Amino acid sequence: MLEKFRNFLYGLSVNWTGKLGATLTTSSFIIFVVLQVGMLLGVITNAYVGLVTYLLFPALFVIGLILIPISWYSYKKGTGKTSRELLKERFEQEEVEPRTYGSKLIQTIAIFTIINIIFLSGASMKMLQFMDRPYFCGTACHDVMNPEWVTYQDSPHARVKCVDCHVGEGGEALIDSKLNGLWQIISAAFELYEKPIPTPVHQLRPARETCEKCHWPDKFYGHRLKNIVHYAHNEVSSPQYTTLDLKIDTGKEFDRAGIHWHIAEENEVRYASLNDEREEMIWVEVRQPDGSFKRYTNTDIDYDVKTEDIRVLDCVDCHNRATHIYKAPQAAIDEAIFRGVLPRNLPYISKQAYAAITGNYADKQAAFKGIENELQGYYRQEYPEFASAHQALIDSTVAVLQDIYDRNIHHGMNIDWGAYPSQLGHESSDGCFRCHNGDLVDSDGNTIDSDCVLCHSILAMESDETLEFLIEEDTTDVEYQMRQYLKREFLEGN
Amino acid sequence: MMKRIFLLMFVLIFTNFVPVTNANAQVAGKCMTCHKEKSPGLYRQWYMSEHAQHKVTCIDCHSADKNEKDAFYHEGAYIATLVTPKDCGQCHRKEFEEVENSYHAKAGQILDSKDAYLAHVTGGEPVAILGCEGCHGANVKIDPNSPNKLSSKSWPNSGIGRINPDGSLGSCNACHTRHAFSKAQARQPESCSKCHLGPDHPQKEVYEESKHGNAYYTHVDDMNLKSDKWVVGVDYFDAPSCATCHMSATRTAPLSHDVGKRLSWTLRPPVSVHKENWQEKRRNLKEVCLACHSEPFADGHFFQYDSFVHLYNEKFAIPSGEIMDIVRENNLLEREAAFGNDIEWTYWELWHHEGRRARHGASMMGPDYTWWHGIYEVAKHFYFKFIPQARAYGDPEVNRYIDNLLADDPMHQWLHKDAKTLRANIRSGKLQQIYQEFYNRK
Repeated sequence: MLEKFRNFLYGLSVNWTGKLGATLTTSSFIIFVVLQVGMLLGVITNAYVGLVTYLLFPALFVIGLILIPISWYSYKKGTGKTSRELLKERFEQEEVEPRTYGSKLIQTIAIFTIINIIFLSGASMKMLQFMDRPYFCGTACHDVMNPEWVTYQDSPHARVKCVDCHVGEGGEALIDSKLNGLWQIISAAFELYEKPIPTPVHQLRPARETCEKCHWPDKFYGHRLKNIVHYAHNEVSSPQYTTLDLKIDTGKEFDRAGIHWHIAEENEVRYASLNDEREEMIWVEVRQPDGSFKRYTNTDIDYDVKTEDIRVLDCVDCHNRATHIYKAPQAAIDEAIFRGVLPRNLPYISKQAYAAITGNYADKQAAFKGIENELQGYYRQEYPEFASAHQALIDSTVAVLQDIYDRNIHHGMNIDWGAYPSQLGHESSDGCFRCHNGDLVDSDGNTIDSDCVLCHSILAMESDETLEFLIEEDTTDVEYQMRQYLKREFLEGN
Repeated sequence: MMKRIFLLMFVLIFTNFVPVTNANAQVAGKCMTCHKEKSPGLYRQWYMSEHAQHKVTCIDCHSADKNEKDAFYHEGAYIATLVTPKDCGQCHRKEFEEVENSYHAKAGQILDSKDAYLAHVTGGEPVAILGCEGCHGANVKIDPNSPNKLSSKSWPNSGIGRINPDGSLGSCNACHTRHAFSKAQARQPESCSKCHLGPDHPQKEVYEESKHGNAYYTHVDDMNLKSDKWVVGVDYFDAPSCATCHMSATRTAPLSHDVGKRLSWTLRPPVSVHKENWQEKRRNLKEVCLACHSEPFADGHFFQYDSFVHLYNEKFAIPSGEIMDIVRENNLLEREAAFGNDIEWTYWELWHHEGRRARHGASMMGPDYTWWHGIYEVAKHFYFKFIPQARAYGDPEVNRYIDNLLADDPMHQWLHKDAKTLRANIRSGKLQQIYQEFYNRK
């Protein structure tokens, strides 16, 4: 049997091209099988092997297969003989002798073709499956995608596959994404991409289709209590609480419109923004089911609105960083202190940590060194006794800050603090105030309401207590009237 | 009967316990909520201010009647951006009335003045808006299309003589900058030197040069600037600031926002004149001096200062003014437009810049401004710029006036003498004799 296979291969290997083709095909097949068996048995676990197994070897296999007929054709042309003559020359008489079901050679080729088809189908399936894995998306184009990969793994959607949001279902989506991927390979290979990758990404799938598979608007009702802790830049890094009671209703029932009013079934909110960057609004309008609509325009902007600048508002207009969340430096520090990984008993930790991670560093290595120098130097100089007694604590703090830096700053892609601000709320960018501002006016000169309690009741505002404004009012307080107003608004206003 | 008493008691108790400002408190709270977030700097200024301590919030100053010209509807209430002295006067009645009757309040009525004419013709409206009206105050115009109903040509404006839509004059925040409205700020010379500086009235520079300024900047931390009561010699003693001499309380006089109350001369016009009731005003100022100086010291200063003003008037101001009158009467000016001829600029700078610098230097004991920036410049330009330009017309009347002045007036006769004689006359005191008539002149 082996002898026969050897003869077959010899017969095909008419010249160097043929030999190369046969070798490539055979060896990549064998290696693929070995690796696959290894992976099935759990001997090979390195995920990176998948890249080689499912992408490289099937590709080499196909290239080899293509080379064989090419070599045959050039050989035939070179010798000037007919195929029959050549077959007789290359193979034994017995092999090429005509039979009822074709010659033995034909039978061999047929068998191999079937094996090839089965193998290639299997390999393609595995390849597609592999390419559906976040690991592939995150690591195949390492330089470009690494920042997104890092932030994705640290996000609320870390267990949702990239393709679930970015590709979608069905053959068309698959083909689209593969064609798009082809361009991305070229763009990654020749570094044709912009750094950082500009946002918003305009060719994202319709967000409502994607997001609403899990988050359906019928469930957006009631209130959501949000407590934001900020640690002040004082010696004890005292916590300051901002507590907001977010009114998130879609407002379908009982006329209790809240923030998700914007995506309620009966409202269609459309807008045109400057260069479709979704930052500066030229106009924004709402259409009701009866066809009536109201438009608010910024008359100060002299801009010719093109069709592609117009967009129907959906989830990602506000939740623009639902997954790839780049934190603001202070927010990252606040979170770390809250979780207890940054120790509050280090004097001025909130302030010093901020100074350390927001330094202007040339690259990651310099940043790591700089963060270390900043912290170690500060405590050695200002709190020498404390520093020598708590060296291990300071060391671990340095490591935490380096980790925060590493997750959020990506020099290779020019991603610095604030490169990708979140539009949710109005903390790190204009957010809600992109539309809820005094610049957009309707035909009567009215603006869109931007009252603070429109979207949330305020129960604490950089206060010492989490529910500061609900506790007993102190009439001597400078902000007495404000507290009184906010308390009433919460208790009576909803 | 008992029923009635109970009812009365109930009403009394009830009305006593319901806060009178309840509805307002809700509005006030709403303003504070948003502006704390949206205008944090402004909010912090207010938060740290005396107003905050006394529960004076946004709406107390900014609330407006629907019918006011600059009222607009904002988040549930009619408000006005512009807070005028009338608004401040709701609580600060005395200050409002003093300001309304002061020279400061009239600063906005400059449209017909030479200054405004000059800025409008040689510069243009935007120059007048940012230049003149920045200090003097704009005549605030209403623009119905503006979000806050105020024309952008006249808002922002914090000029001290602003003419407000409600008819009131002035702007308290010219000195008490919003939204801290600090007493301390207004007591510091920097507050006044927003406007009182530069080539035409360098009060700030003169003050900085003077002993008073020197002492102030040395001891600024000991000036007790934030104190509620600020009586010179009692609550502070290291130095006077502008406010000390011109406005603030002494042991006998209360603080007054009428800045002219202690000024005996007006140093503004080409020829200085005493103000109405000048002796009383001089006494008012002397009262301030006496907190730190003896009477002969204060009298000595006025002796020197008065003689200087008389000298400036009679040696330079009156003659140059009379020469200009002849030039005008004889239609010698080539262009009809005021400031269209070089001699007009020379004359203008002679009194409006150099002459004022000299007088301000003398009034506040600034030697360099009295002489080098002052009379030195006046003399140089009088003798060697103004007179040659006047003579250039070749008009017999002008020439006769100048010839007579230089020949007959002992103050100008030096021009026809030799230096040796003049030096001898200075040494012997003969030259000084010429000026004796300026001392002790009433």
